[in-house]
Amino acid sequence: MIVALVLVVYAAVASVAMPSLMAGTKLAERAPRLAIAVWQAASFSVVASLLLAVFVVVVPAHLVGHGLADLFEACAELLSSRIDLGSAATVTALTLGAVVCARMAYTTIAVLWQSRQARGRHGDALALIGHHDAELDALVVDYDEGLAYCLPGRNGHAVITTGALGALTPAQVAAVLAHEHAHLRGRHHLVLAAAEALDRAFPGVPLFRSGRSEAARLIELLADDVAARRHERVDIAAALVGLATGRVPAFTLGAGGETALVRVLRMLSPEAPLGRAERLAGVFAVVLLIGGPAAMAVMPGISEMIAHHG
Amino acid sequence: MVRGLGELEATIMDRMWSYRRPALVREVLDDLRRDREIAYTTVMTVMDKLHTKGLLKRWLDGRAYVYEAVTSKEAYTADLMRESLAGSGNQAATLVHFLERLTPEEAAAMEAALRVIPPSTRRS
Repeated sequence: MIVALVLVVYAAVASVAMPSLMAGTKLAERAPRLAIAVWQAASFSVVASLLLAVFVVVVPAHLVGHGLADLFEACAELLSSRIDLGSAATVTALTLGAVVCARMAYTTIAVLWQSRQARGRHGDALALIGHHDAELDALVVDYDEGLAYCLPGRNGHAVITTGALGALTPAQVAAVLAHEHAHLRGRHHLVLAAAEALDRAFPGVPLFRSGRSEAARLIELLADDVAARRHERVDIAAALVGLATGRVPAFTLGAGGETALVRVLRMLSPEAPLGRAERLAGVFAVVLLIGGPAAMAVMPGISEMIAHHG
Repeated sequence: MVRGLGELEATIMDRMWSYRRPALVREVLDDLRRDREIAYTTVMTVMDKLHTKGLLKRWLDGRAYVYEAVTSKEAYTADLMRESLAGSGNQAATLVHFLERLTPEEAAAMEAALRVIPPSTRRS
């Protein structure tokens, strides 16, 4: 019971404190891929803690920790009468667990389905007006405003307007498209979908809310880095500025400006990449976030086992 | 030559947009036959589908339908591009834009940043 409490308290504290902890590190700008992993691990950690807390409440300690075969036995016990399904704590825990799982399943399916539908509609409409440029490996749309984006998915492709082609030099266009192809190859839309599904499943939880907006920012930084491997960083920066200032629209949507400025600055004057120790610390954090709750959950079982066999 | 129905839709819309006037299925057919062998019923079916999709409007003139594009290609493109920008905010997993829209202040700050920082990091 104490273990379950610890897990629940950890989940609560982590889901509130983690965003400011992450903001304190400069991980995002220096190692976006690792930062994405840490955010995902943190989200996983919180959800796993809740589910493990349910597990700990429902399955008595003496049934855990005797190896895999005994875990199946524990499941069998769960179905038979050895585990009291009637107690208030068990019922509450199982209900909570079921709600958490159902919410996540529902929002994940909803996000994937809706975005797939929207992409299909957009792709059909694009097919009427765009023409595929084999050399650029992108769909070119006749439009004055400079835009570049990608339509992810199975038949994913990069899209660029004639306005962008006219405003940018060939080297800049190549850099922009490398950025878009990095999104497509890296399946970054799935990173976004996962973060969005969690945020929708548990609205208002700071960790998931920040996780979603950070995911959107981090995949841009990551795609910039991938593009910078084969293109001049200054071309990426210039393309960002060119597309941003080419024609400033009368209306504005959302606040991407801060991210855009960060992106320009880090393309022009990149901070030193992570040292070996910092990178190891980051990886360790991921492992700890993912494995910690599970280790906590099986601890009473293990101590029980030691007590029995010792 | 076997081409996908989607491509035929695009070709026919392109012709309809280029006419900038109403046209009969027969006229579109004659136009298309300059480039390829194609049956009247195929063109009719595709144009009927484009009408169902809301891209073409039509009315009866005698015994045949006259078709016309609902909007110009420019307006259609503008709508789609604006929709893509607006949609990327609330449905992030749908489209991934190279850049969100900036306010004039943000854009000015960006230009200033590029001017201040010398591109010294150019790889040699």
